Amino acid sequence: MKRLLREWLAAVGVVSARRHNAALQQLETLKAISAERKNSASAAASRAQELEARLRRQSDEAGKLQQKMDKWKEQRQHDFRQLQLQLAKTERELKVARDHLMAIEVKLDILEGAANVLDTRTRVALSSQRGGTGAPA
Amino acid sequence: MPRPDERRDSAEAGIVPFVSLVLTGRNDGYGGDFLARFFRTLRFNHEQLTSRSIAHEIVFVEWAPPANRPLIREFVFEALPELDAGICSWFVVDARYQRELSLNPRLEYLEFPAKNVGIRRARGRFVLTTNCDVYFGRHVMDVLARGALETGVLYRAPRHDVNLSSRRQTVDWTELEDPRHLAGPAHVLKPPYYGSATGDFVLLDTASFHAIGGFNEVYRVARIGIDRNVIVKALSSGLTVADIGGPVYHENHEGSYRLNPRAFAGREAEAPWGDRRWHSGGVSYVNPPTWGLSAAPTRELGERAWILDFSWSAVPPLVDLKHVVLPTARGSGPPPGHYVRKH
Repeated sequence: MKRLLREWLAAVGVVSARRHNAALQQLETLKAISAERKNSASAAASRAQELEARLRRQSDEAGKLQQKMDKWKEQRQHDFRQLQLQLAKTERELKVARDHLMAIEVKLDILEGAANVLDTRTRVALSSQRGGTGAPA
Repeated sequence: MPRPDERRDSAEAGIVPFVSLVLTGRNDGYGGDFLARFFRTLRFNHEQLTSRSIAHEIVFVEWAPPANRPLIREFVFEALPELDAGICSWFVVDARYQRELSLNPRLEYLEFPAKNVGIRRARGRFVLTTNCDVYFGRHVMDVLARGALETGVLYRAPRHDVNLSSRRQTVDWTELEDPRHLAGPAHVLKPPYYGSATGDFVLLDTASFHAIGGFNEVYRVARIGIDRNVIVKALSSGLTVADIGGPVYHENHEGSYRLNPRAFAGREAEAPWGDRRWHSGGVSYVNPPTWGLSAAPTRELGERAWILDFSWSAVPPLVDLKHVVLPTARGSGPPPGHYVRKH
């Protein structure tokens, strides 16, 4: 009977004070949770914005770095080409220098030979003039 | 191009032999029995050339002969009665040229200025400079017989050193081509210089030989390497250097550089052939216009024989440094480390 009465009262929106208090308390709890979730969502949204901004900054930075790297790479390729050209030029110059060194050595041989020939002739000439042995006077 | 035998007819008429063999020597007993060796090779080569009807001239330069010995010319025709004096040109060069040209008192024989005397005066369409102990191989003879030579090409032949009995007066193909007589492995010529015993075989048309001015007369400090140096000059002058395709045979004898090339290692300046390390593969030269002692006064000695008397006007300058030049084209340079002498 009691249960029937309670169901009937509930059907017309009348509950006991205890249940009403419990419902109110639950409502407050849910409101608190909702507020907390709202705060969390808001914090997450602002965090997301912050991260997006950071991502943009970092993308910009990466783009700049990529540009820098491309430029650096281009510069290094240019430098490499220049070094290759310089190396080829230096090799050519080295060959020419070696050729000149050879020619100079050959000329020195000739000069040395001629100096020895002239030395011998001079000694002979002096020797015959002095009628001696050719030893220095 | 007329055939070589047709050229012989012309030569006999006093016109142009196909090939002039330029040889030099003197009666000084070089390398033991020089005369016997010379007569053996001359007899063989002359016989082979004649049997193939190759019109040839023998240009012999008797360089600075010793005053106390008879000239080779005085008995060559007696030793080789088959040799016609009409196909020989004999030049006896005053010994003072040896003394006044030399820039190295250890060089007893200026082989290449001597050969230049012959090159300058050779009458043939082609000039073959060789040595008095070299037999031409069968292939060389065949090429000459076919007249298969091009102008502007300097031909080289690999040298096979052979040990032959020095008591023989004649040599035949069997002996020359017998591998048991080879004194060592046969040489193979390698481009660009086709070097190795170059002095034993340099064959070039006369006009080109004159254009390059013969062998180097500016560098008179060494005898060794002057033959290799002519290849540098030829390449630098736009000529082609080629292997003729068959060997020549060199009769081994005492005193030969080939037998002991390192005999003077460590004291190269004392070598009778000069310092073998000079840069013969690295530099070129421009000979004076009087190369080959062309300004030397000549006196007739006999049938087709002359004496080149001494004259200072024929002697090239003692020092002519501006005519040591860099080659404009060289097959390859000496490898690094070979440019500077290692004392």
